[in-house]
Amino acid sequence: MAEFGVSTESPPERIDDLIDSTLMAKLDQVDVLSRKIFAGKLQGERRSKKRGVSVEFADYRHYTHGDDLRFVDWNIYARLDRLFLKMFLEEEDLSLILAIDSSASMNWGNPNKFHFCQRLAMALSYVGLVNHNRVSLFSFRHDDVEALPSLRGRRRTREVGDWLLDQQAEGRGGFTEAMKRIALGRQGRGVMVILSDFLLKEGYEKGLRYLSGGGYDTFCLQVLSPEEIDPGKHGLTGDLKLTDIEDEDVAEVTVSAALLKRYKENLDAYCGTLRDYCVRRDITHSTIDTSVDMSVLLMDYLRKRGLLK
Amino acid sequence: MTWLTPLSGLVLAGAVIPPLVLLYFLRLRRKPASIASTLLWQRSVEDLTANAPFQRLRFGMLLLLQLMALLMLAVAIMQPRLEGERRAGGRTVLLIDNSASMSARDAEDGDTRLEEARTRARDLIERLYAGGWMADAPGETMIIAFSDRAEVISRFTDSRTNLLDAIDRIRPTDGESSLTEALQLARAYTTNVNPDQQDRPMADPATIELFSDGRIQDLNEHVLRGETMNFHAVGSTEPNNVALTAVSIDRPYDKPTSVEVFVSLFNHNSTEVSSCEVQLSVNGTAVGIQDVTLPPAEVDENGVRRAGRSNLVFLPFDQPRGAIIEVAVLRPDDLPNDNIANVVLPPARQLSVALVDKKSRVLELALQGLSLRTSDFNMTGDELEQRIAEDRLDEFDVYVLDGFVPSEMTQGRFVTFGETPPIEGLNPYGESEPQVVLATKTEHPVMRYVSLDSLYVEASTLLKPARDATILVEGSEAPLMVEIRRGSLAVVHVAFDPLESNFPLLRSLPTWVYNVVDYLGHLGEGVASTVIRPGQAITTRVPSTAEDIRIELPDGSTVPLTPAETFDVSWGPSRRAGLHTISWKEPDVDDRVERAFAVNLLSTVEGDIATRESITIGEAQAQGDFGERAAYTPLWPWAIGVCLALMMTEWWLYHRRARI
Repeated sequence: MAEFGVSTESPPERIDDLIDSTLMAKLDQVDVLSRKIFAGKLQGERRSKKRGVSVEFADYRHYTHGDDLRFVDWNIYARLDRLFLKMFLEEEDLSLILAIDSSASMNWGNPNKFHFCQRLAMALSYVGLVNHNRVSLFSFRHDDVEALPSLRGRRRTREVGDWLLDQQAEGRGGFTEAMKRIALGRQGRGVMVILSDFLLKEGYEKGLRYLSGGGYDTFCLQVLSPEEIDPGKHGLTGDLKLTDIEDEDVAEVTVSAALLKRYKENLDAYCGTLRDYCVRRDITHSTIDTSVDMSVLLMDYLRKRGLLK
Repeated sequence: MTWLTPLSGLVLAGAVIPPLVLLYFLRLRRKPASIASTLLWQRSVEDLTANAPFQRLRFGMLLLLQLMALLMLAVAIMQPRLEGERRAGGRTVLLIDNSASMSARDAEDGDTRLEEARTRARDLIERLYAGGWMADAPGETMIIAFSDRAEVISRFTDSRTNLLDAIDRIRPTDGESSLTEALQLARAYTTNVNPDQQDRPMADPATIELFSDGRIQDLNEHVLRGETMNFHAVGSTEPNNVALTAVSIDRPYDKPTSVEVFVSLFNHNSTEVSSCEVQLSVNGTAVGIQDVTLPPAEVDENGVRRAGRSNLVFLPFDQPRGAIIEVAVLRPDDLPNDNIANVVLPPARQLSVALVDKKSRVLELALQGLSLRTSDFNMTGDELEQRIAEDRLDEFDVYVLDGFVPSEMTQGRFVTFGETPPIEGLNPYGESEPQVVLATKTEHPVMRYVSLDSLYVEASTLLKPARDATILVEGSEAPLMVEIRRGSLAVVHVAFDPLESNFPLLRSLPTWVYNVVDYLGHLGEGVASTVIRPGQAITTRVPSTAEDIRIELPDGSTVPLTPAETFDVSWGPSRRAGLHTISWKEPDVDDRVERAFAVNLLSTVEGDIATRESITIGEAQAQGDFGERAAYTPLWPWAIGVCLALMMTEWWLYHRRARI
């Protein structure tokens, strides 16, 4: 019998393991959605608040010196003998930032939480690249943040996949420090997705605070394995000495119905507090079970949560 | 309950129970497991970081069950045992006496001895099989009930229920106790019948449990062959009993219509019975009461207890018809069975006799001395032939043929002299030399009170009788007197002419003539008047037209009977004393024809009902056990069983808690 919670699946080795063609075909239909419409640097496929060059008409304004004569509405000029400039909604690109918790605690559970995050990040990156968004990836652990910044276009998919496959979940967590570094090093505005289990002994509050003020449309996807959600159902029994794989902390428990009940109450309370904290800071929080099917998650669940459209 | 090894159990309990409790004080040794984060568990568990090795003892169901299981284990090691009777693997034979003396009501609570014996036997079975299915195989047990006959009530079995049922089936009889047949039966069953072990002649000798009052007449004739005998004595050693030991009825020779009754009484008590009333009834009506004094029983110089005896005679009274005569001792005592005796009195019947082809006056003179109804002493051979041809033989009861031989003999009753009659089975083969008598069958009614020691026969026919013939007198060369019965033909044949012997000069001749005429004349009825002992068979001859024959027993039940080809019916052995009535229907007669038979205890042995304190069989003496016997049934298998059950409950409870 497999040891409780220890992953039995092999880690992804190829890009195909992270994302398959069927899922790709489905993801071609969706795009990353931001509740806020941000100004991008390059002309993209996204409507911007700024008037710009696109086929979608927005308004007229008076011609001033230096305006591009291509946008003058000559029909109006003919009727009124005054120069008016046609103004269109500018389509611009979106910044999509994916931050993956790669501490040792993520490398646990069946299905493995880190592998799940790799696949989810791959899928979200693909959506961003396909829709010509600026995709940046971060992988953070104790005192290290690896980054793959500013990729655009479908052809960068392989680059993203290779980078994700290189990532290892090990070492202690360093959420606050990582969030600080990501927030300070950001470029432009956009959608930030944090993939973590948020089981952080140091607390998540400080880290999330760095993100809340930065104009990001932030999504906290709390990834939990089935063993964490319902340990009794997945074979946690007996008198146990539980060791934290990150910090070697020990908890001695005698598993009983009462204890399991209390654990579930605690888990619900913890997730509830996190959600409340996020809501107060305009952050979207979702708890994701790693046993859920990836296409269902992307095509249904995350669309409902407003991350994809 | 006793404990075989209490110390070992205490040591075990002392060695194991404190460590168990200590284990509950100590913290658990836990199985290591890795988890992603202890964050939530730390919040869930109360006793996480306490580093003290001991905790407060919390009494739980598990600890209680474990303690009880260990205690049971300790109890098992102490080997408790119940007092009971157990012989693992051995064979036991229960011999239960159901003879007449066992009907004495001197046991506790007014029970009979047999009831007490059955109760004690049931107790023994319960003790033998006390261990139930947890105990070792208790071996097999057989039950034999015995009086004068032995009967296997239950073959060897280890089924307690079957044995108890079998004990309940034992019924009292009025037979005398005899151990011979019972021991033979027991040995027949204990003999090894396993064909694979024929090199071993006998199975292990069985233990014999004898439930009796010890009044067994043939104790001295036996030797125990390796068996162990336990004697369970029932009854009282000082009982109260007066017994009728003999009743005989006679019609005086000179007054054949009147009846005399002779009664013999035994007093088995140690004290004199000053007034004992004996009542005589004829067909249920009391006709006389006599008061007798009985001397006490005494122990003679050989140590043999002799009962006080008294005889009395009821004076002749006129009773020409048949009747049922009952003699009853009115004094109440412990054994009522031997206080009443019945005798069936046949009707006074005078016979008709014909003497055929008379050669001399010898037989005529002897016959003239009899009290006969009619007689014809001058019948010729031709007349007899004519009667045979015309089937008119019924006119005379007995035909005495003095040297005459008819051409055929198929029915009738004949006494023949000299010439061999034409009956199959006599097988004459020549003439003999002079003969003397070698042996006589004195117990035969014809030879009763007859002495032929001085008989000398000058010439006779040599006979070689068939097997079914009864040889009454055996001569030095060949049988001299033979009885042959072929259906309705009965012949007593004398192989010599009386004139060729000194028979006419012997004093026994008139007696013999009386006997032979009386025997042949009353043949088929005579049985009814004789006294039958319990255990003997009742036989009688019924008419060929009889239908629906049945016998009514003393307890009122009836049993249908089927006659043999010769119209003899028999029933037996009779188990209880009292009147047995055989009745049948004849065509054109409304009422059933009845014939009564009296079965009487009349035993000098069974009447002495004082229970023996010990019995001696061969050289082995068995002391009477009037109470319980101590032996042991181990209880440790039960303790182990309870321990297992507790452990399983504990296991189940533990897993039930662990699961959600």
